[in-house]
Amino acid sequence: MLRIITCFKWVIDQADIKTSPGSRELLLDRASYRISDYDRFAIEEAVSLQEQHGGSTAAITVGSPAARKSLKDVLSRGPEKAYFVNDPSFDTLEPSQTASILASAIRSQLEYDLIICGEGSGDLYAQQVGPRLAEALNIPMTTCVSKLTVYGTQIIAERKLDDGIEVVAIPLPALVTVLPEINTPRIPGLKDTLAASKKPVVDIKATDLGQSFEPCLQTITILASSMERNGVKFSADGADIRKFVEVILKTGNIS
Amino acid sequence: MAGVWILADNRDRTLELLNVAAGLAEKLDTKVAAFLWNDSQLAEDYIAHGADEVLILPSLEEDQPLEAYIPTIVEEALRQDPDIFLVAATARGKEMAARIAGRLNTGLCSGCTALQFDETGKKLIMERLVFGGAAVQTVTCLTRPQMATIAPRTFAPAVPLGDRTGQVRELAAGLPGLVRIVDRKPKAKQSGDVSDAKVLICVGRGLEKEEDLALVRELANVLGGELACTRPIAEELHWLPEETYIGLSGQKVKPDIYIGVGISGQIQHVTGIRDARLICAINRDENAAIFEVSDYGIVGDLYSVLPELTREFKRALGAGKE
Ligand SMILES: Cc1cc2nc3c(=O)[nH]c(=O)nc-3n(C[C@H](O)[C@H](O)[C@H](O)COP(=O)(O)OP(=O)(O)OC[C@H]3O[C@@H](n4cnc5c(N)ncnc54)[C@H](O)[C@@H]3O)c2cc1C
Repeated sequence: MLRIITCFKWVIDQADIKTSPGSRELLLDRASYRISDYDRFAIEEAVSLQEQHGGSTAAITVGSPAARKSLKDVLSRGPEKAYFVNDPSFDTLEPSQTASILASAIRSQLEYDLIICGEGSGDLYAQQVGPRLAEALNIPMTTCVSKLTVYGTQIIAERKLDDGIEVVAIPLPALVTVLPEINTPRIPGLKDTLAASKKPVVDIKATDLGQSFEPCLQTITILASSMERNGVKFSADGADIRKFVEVILKTGNIS
Repeated sequence: MAGVWILADNRDRTLELLNVAAGLAEKLDTKVAAFLWNDSQLAEDYIAHGADEVLILPSLEEDQPLEAYIPTIVEEALRQDPDIFLVAATARGKEMAARIAGRLNTGLCSGCTALQFDETGKKLIMERLVFGGAAVQTVTCLTRPQMATIAPRTFAPAVPLGDRTGQVRELAAGLPGLVRIVDRKPKAKQSGDVSDAKVLICVGRGLEKEEDLALVRELANVLGGELACTRPIAEELHWLPEETYIGLSGQKVKPDIYIGVGISGQIQHVTGIRDARLICAINRDENAAIFEVSDYGIVGDLYSVLPELTREFKRALGAGKE
């Protein structure tokens, strides 16, 4: 029986990010949160593998208590159990901390054959948690997976790399991070949402883990990126198009 | 022991990292070491471009991926205790760096786009993009080695420095890993490469049919540019190869001129063109976000604008040549 864990993150919806007028400061207070887009592919892959092979799927997230809202959402996507590792201090973790906390929680509470993560998170997109988690658990892993098949006690993963496809075989237990092209996540219906409320949630507190998790990376600032440009607009009439061509040739270094 | 270490999949990326590493090593009064595998011929080349030491990784069994080098690299890092370790942010590089950082229990700045060296704290101050490119995060590493993956083409390649000498050292082979390659399908090399193009004409979903690419191609030909596109054009419609889409999950480009045709200007796309010298856009919606990040825009229907624009460019360029 295939026991799958899928990891996900509750992130700020990018569409809600505003900057305060005249400064590069981000205004995030009013932003809504969602399950990171990349993690939706990991969740879907876990659930569809379980449908093919039987077994179980558990979802796990690390976050501040505010991330509790994510649990019903994730459970409506198919996993039958959610693990919520939470602490008020867990809202500004850097990737090495998140990976250590996940590893610690998984080691103490979960059994697994396969762990599936998204390729990166929708907010920080550091792409470190999957690889670091595999190292912390001392299991083999691979990234950039665009196709995944389970054969008994091993997986075959197609990796999409810069120079082509590499197909690898990995014995279980293993961890993979998956690319968006691996599947099309289903959209939960009313029935799934109702069923989600009845599924079990396991609460894991920082104190249950019996260790502290120090950061290796310190954030100094996060500021809106400025992309200011001339912003000159022309109309589509002939005279304007000629003017456009003129400035482009003058400023654009074309010969 | 100490040093500035670099690891990259290929020569181009290695030269870019050598360029940054040399500057950092000078400030730290230490040496630059570069990893190399397969092609020991390159050792002298890397030394000429600024490496003081080339660490040769032993060849792997046929079925072993490059990631199998991780234990060897980690062991060497534990022995030598480098100050800084820079890795090219290629698909493999990102995985290898994260796993090496995990084993060394150190911090890693992923996809670093700019860095400075703080002399007093001997710290790298590193920038990276977050929130899909909408914001810049500045980080510093609290542990040793300070690690970063560096996006391809963030830095110019190092130039050969003439008469240089350096050491070449071969590292001992490690045990084969559990991940085995069972098949490889190399990508066919395509003709034009958007990442090096001086002029890019980039199309988006404003284009109605695949045949209409001809209109865009004509403009590209007149300007001596390459065709590029947004993600939906490559990944959903498959009108252009995947290597030609620009943005967060695609290519980051630095052309002299970018002309976006029928592109809305979502942050995930625009992130890929932030370093273009000149950004131009054609869109029929005057409120399209692309205009906010453009130097020059034409508000109009691409089907009437493109033919006229091509004609005008042809005339202007033709006149210049006479
Ligand atoms: C996690 C994530 C990563 C992503 N990564 C990338 C990435 O790397 N690269 C990327 O490109 N996208 C990426 N996207 C997708 C991105 O958000 C946008 O959906 C995409 O860039 C939109 O492409 P588009 O501008 O071609 O299409 P649309 O947004 O549909 O815009 C079409 C535009 O064409 C204009 N138009 C229509 N008809 C005409 C006409 N006749 N004449 C002139 N103008 C016309 C319209 O006004 C509109 O502005 C990503 C999304 C996510 C969630």
